[in-house]
Amino acid sequence: MSSWYFCSNEIVNSPSRSDGIEITAECRYRREGARFIMDVGNRMNLRYETVATGIVFYHRFYMMHSFKTINRLIGAAACLYLAGKAEETPKKCRDLVKAVRTILSERQMEAFGDDPKEEIISHERLLLQTIKFDLCVQHPYKYIVKFAKNLKDDRAQIEKVVQMAWNFVNDSLSTTLCLQWKPQVVAVSLLHLAAKLSKYNLSAAPDGPHYDHSKSWWQHFLPEINSDVLEDICLQMLDFYDKTDVGASNYNMISPPKITMKVPQSIPYRTL
Amino acid sequence: MSKEPYNYPFIHDVGKYEKITKIGHGTFGEVFKARNRISKEFVALKRVLLGNEKEGFPITSLREIKILRALKHDNIVRLQEICRSKGTPQSRKRGSIYLVFEFCAHDLAGLLQNPQVKFNLSEIKRMMKHLLSGLFYIHSNKVLHRDLKAANVLVTRDGVLKLADFGLARVYSRKEKTHCFTNRVVTLWYRAPELLLGCRDYGPAIDMWAIGCIMAEFWTRSAIMQGNSETNQLTLITQLCGSITPEVYPDVDKLDLFKKFDLPASQKRRVKERLSHYVRDRHALDLIDRCLTIDPAKRIDSDSALNHDFFWSDPLPASKISCLSRLNVSMFEFLIDRKTTNPQHRPEQSQMSQQPGYDRVF
Repeated sequence: MSSWYFCSNEIVNSPSRSDGIEITAECRYRREGARFIMDVGNRMNLRYETVATGIVFYHRFYMMHSFKTINRLIGAAACLYLAGKAEETPKKCRDLVKAVRTILSERQMEAFGDDPKEEIISHERLLLQTIKFDLCVQHPYKYIVKFAKNLKDDRAQIEKVVQMAWNFVNDSLSTTLCLQWKPQVVAVSLLHLAAKLSKYNLSAAPDGPHYDHSKSWWQHFLPEINSDVLEDICLQMLDFYDKTDVGASNYNMISPPKITMKVPQSIPYRTL
Repeated sequence: MSKEPYNYPFIHDVGKYEKITKIGHGTFGEVFKARNRISKEFVALKRVLLGNEKEGFPITSLREIKILRALKHDNIVRLQEICRSKGTPQSRKRGSIYLVFEFCAHDLAGLLQNPQVKFNLSEIKRMMKHLLSGLFYIHSNKVLHRDLKAANVLVTRDGVLKLADFGLARVYSRKEKTHCFTNRVVTLWYRAPELLLGCRDYGPAIDMWAIGCIMAEFWTRSAIMQGNSETNQLTLITQLCGSITPEVYPDVDKLDLFKKFDLPASQKRRVKERLSHYVRDRHALDLIDRCLTIDPAKRIDSDSALNHDFFWSDPLPASKISCLSRLNVSMFEFLIDRKTTNPQHRPEQSQMSQQPGYDRVF
């Protein structure tokens, strides 16, 4: 099976780059595409896993195609459409088009041609073949919860850290982190970031008599990950916040609300 | 708008395989035997029908792909890769997608319909063990097959059984308390009573019912309950397994269709009695009986079935199946159906219409 993880060099030299698109523009297209998928997904009441899967498809898709050859709004719509099926939350293409219409302007809808439904469906085929029918996508969310359950700190404090890390994961979907690191690694890094910003020291729960106190907390979950990786991921996130005016307009038109995906109520966290 | 303006360097063209012959057709496309032009290795190509799909790529095929990619087991058919064929511009065809599977020489239905193929008890044990191991594996991975039948069980030349055709399969989770699945699954003859009665919140037990039906076929050589309608199927079940009442199946009266069917009352359960003409081994009889339990909550599961005395008493499961290595032709139900004029497996041609007696059921 092919790997969906790339080194920073590959990400910088994407198909869009060979097509003459500047890296800053590509980053913006990725961010806006991700936001667009979130907005349409929220409007259709899709679960956060479905939305996140759609965004991961989107990032993978544009590692194989240039933003010049394939319109990013159509690409994004096709990604969300396929994610609906892949996550067992299928939506009718007609309803997707309806939701897209409520978000985009008349002029932006022109990209979808005379038959937007057909346009999305034919792009779904292209997407499927581009992502090699790899439909199983994992996200950092569940690892945040899983790791947090094994931490031995003050519950209220951890809950705060988890909520913050969860929001970081939402925002990380606008970056290329999902193309660089496995979801487990992103999860520990963003927990680390959230803890740091909360000025809180995390420590893993002792597991058995062989608990090694010399290890960092995350190494109890991912022994092979060193702090350089964590720092790099945290820096990428901070860099993203630095460069992005989160409230600013996207895909030129509307101002979406701050990302609203919250830790779901049913999160096993409360039952600890 | 039919267009293919892009290159698809991402998945291979199906032209790398040479099609040899059609070996089957499912609900979602045809199946061909083919050979890799370079490695000369045989494969089965399953074409996903596309083109008239109002909702794009069929979700059922996506499920099949997603599930098969995640499942790796000796007794599950292996998905090797996915290929494409180019559409032809003049016919406005969009091209097809092919699932490429390891090739298996036979399917169980084809083998059982051939009188020259004989299995002894220890060979049957081996084959049932394979079936149940595959099923235990998929159930542990929270997947329901939902279309188990002899024709969907493939058999390699080395006598390894593999569950195939996950076109109706889907993931279920134990966390969610109630499911709302479609009950229009499983070929009629293998359909569990709860499905026939309209249950939508079913589980792995529906696959175990089908396993019971398949297991009996090792001796009877054709499907044991060949209903021609849902009512008729329920009648056949009642005649074999006894009346379906809240006494044997609590809460059955809460199922949508329970009151709609006027099912025979006060029928005795006769699974062992009626199958004993075919199945001499008492452990085998007992295992079939436990699979064909009316109440899905009491039906044996794949784990307990693998621990059943059937597999742990003499003769033990065989290490090979001798007659298969002597077979030079592939036995597929599809090919047999084409050759004979008396297909026993097509529900619509069944002779069983509303026969009150049960002697003809087998």
